[in-house]
Amino acid sequence: MSSLLQILNRIMVLAQNTLREAVRNRLLYNLLFFAVLMIVSSILLAELHLGHSDRIYRDVGLSAIAGFGSLIAIFVGIGLLSREIDQKTVYIVLSKPIGRWEFLAGKFVGLAGVLMVQVVAMGACFLGVLWLQGAEITGGLFQAIGLIYTELVLLTALALFFSTFTTSYLAGMFTLAFWVVGHLLMDLRTFGAHSEVESLRLLTESLYWTLPNLDRLDLKAEAAAGLTSQGVHVVTALAYAACYSLGLLLAAASLFRRRDFH
Amino acid sequence: MSAIRLRGLSKTFRKGFWMKPMHALRGVDLSVREGEIFGFLGPNGAGKTTTIKILTGLIHPSAGEAWIGDLPVEVPESRKKLGFLPEGTFFHDHLTGLEFCEMHARLLGIPRAERRDRIRDLMVRVGLADSEAKQIRHYSKGMRQRVGLAQALLGDPEVVILDEPMSGLDPVGRREVRDLILELREQGRTVFFSSHVLADAEMICDQVAVIVAGRVVETGYLADLLGRQMGGVELVVEGLSEERWQELSRASRRSVGHGMRHLFEFSDEDTVEKALDEVRRDGGRIVSLVPARRSLEDLVVERSRSVGMR
Ligand SMILES: Nc1ncnc2c1ncn2[C@@H]1O[C@H](COP(=O)(O)OP(=O)(O)O)[C@@H](O)[C@H]1O
Ligand SMILES: [Mg+2]
Repeated sequence: MSSLLQILNRIMVLAQNTLREAVRNRLLYNLLFFAVLMIVSSILLAELHLGHSDRIYRDVGLSAIAGFGSLIAIFVGIGLLSREIDQKTVYIVLSKPIGRWEFLAGKFVGLAGVLMVQVVAMGACFLGVLWLQGAEITGGLFQAIGLIYTELVLLTALALFFSTFTTSYLAGMFTLAFWVVGHLLMDLRTFGAHSEVESLRLLTESLYWTLPNLDRLDLKAEAAAGLTSQGVHVVTALAYAACYSLGLLLAAASLFRRRDFH
Repeated sequence: MSAIRLRGLSKTFRKGFWMKPMHALRGVDLSVREGEIFGFLGPNGAGKTTTIKILTGLIHPSAGEAWIGDLPVEVPESRKKLGFLPEGTFFHDHLTGLEFCEMHARLLGIPRAERRDRIRDLMVRVGLADSEAKQIRHYSKGMRQRVGLAQALLGDPEVVILDEPMSGLDPVGRREVRDLILELREQGRTVFFSSHVLADAEMICDQVAVIVAGRVVETGYLADLLGRQMGGVELVVEGLSEERWQELSRASRRSVGHGMRHLFEFSDEDTVEKALDEVRRDGGRIVSLVPARRSLEDLVVERSRSVGMR
């Protein structure tokens, strides 16, 4: 049996390779350039149409980071995993004395690294623009950005999960759907609770408790209002995301283990 | 102990559940002795790659069992002393040759102190020392094959599995791979390789198995397989009269005519002596006289036909 240290070492080797691939294929730069452009232009556009307001800058900037970050997380996550399988680079990696779950874990950690670079760059750019505009930079902004990153990591786990059993196209569609629904769960539950139909109420309630509740990771409104949330709230959100991601990764690993590589 | 053992190995692919199941392997039994070169031969689509993917843990068998050494292929540790070169050269193109070997050496858990030297030695051995800093995407087909071989040998493997290692290479490249395989045996390793290029296999294998349509139809030492039904001689002559040609054809086991030339295969020496006399009397010229020998190709074609393929 491999020792824990050996396993961690192999996961890091695979993670490093994923990060390196993103850098070498210029994927990372292209996405970053695009994201930064979108953040800056959305803040400038907001000023043009809605007037000068700290709240609007913060709101638009955070939304841009979350929106583009999510799209990047979904498509890069699925892209870099399906590439390994479609281009068969996975053959020699999996013919090494490693468990398949280690490959998946390495991919996940590597993608989390890619997203970290993205979020740090977008966040720095966003805060830079705020500072130039003379808007106040509050602790709540850092909390919001931190939880956006957490959401992206959760989306990556979701994308990897779907990628283990379906085509990259369908995996992309499923993850997108979960992303949308994940932000509507609160409303859905409220809607169900007011319904006369018992089964509908049951349905919305069970969806609320099983699907990833991404609104829990959303502090954008608070941060835009200049508020800083309580630490316990942030920690609960982090714990929720960590447990959910872990569950997804375990399910993904069990599906990946059974899979044939053609 | 066998280096590789397969028992009743079967694999059925289903494209979708409304599609007809495809039986790629139908109960393959094999045993590869340690320290030998084993050729796994058969036409395209016979099931060679499927077998190798099961051995390397890439696909799961539908039935049957497979072992590398004394470990079943289901456990990752069975791949500790295994080197593998897959069919086609699908590698991480964004890495340089050196980074590629470095990554795989780390996955194998080779300590840092040994890594450098071992990679250097292997790059020199496969002739890539000058290109090790280039990204694999800029490598030629032959270079990709060689970096793949270097990767397969990184872990000082006891068993080396190569899927079609010579396909797509020019004659020089094929020769190099052949020499490398022989060298691996010298070093005491077991080499299991698949090929549909039989001439390559014939020169280097100890044992072979012929697989056709998912079944092993022939297996054993090459010398035994080709030696069976041997005996007799092959005579090639030029300038025979039509009449004499007819006559000798009747006396021979097999005959082929092409332009001025005729080939006869005789089963025993007496008939050959008589035939030679007649050729000389007829004013024909003897081009060659050699012992008849079945080639591996004859064997495979023969066995494929008997199974009803091609
Ligand atoms: N993923 C798959 N789905 C369906 N059929 C497959 C699949 N992979 C291989 N086959 C079929 O299995 C048979 C054996 O294939 P393979 O092992 O690749 O043959 P070889 O390597 O000897 O050329 C072929 O008929 C091939 O079409
Ligand atoms: Mg093949």
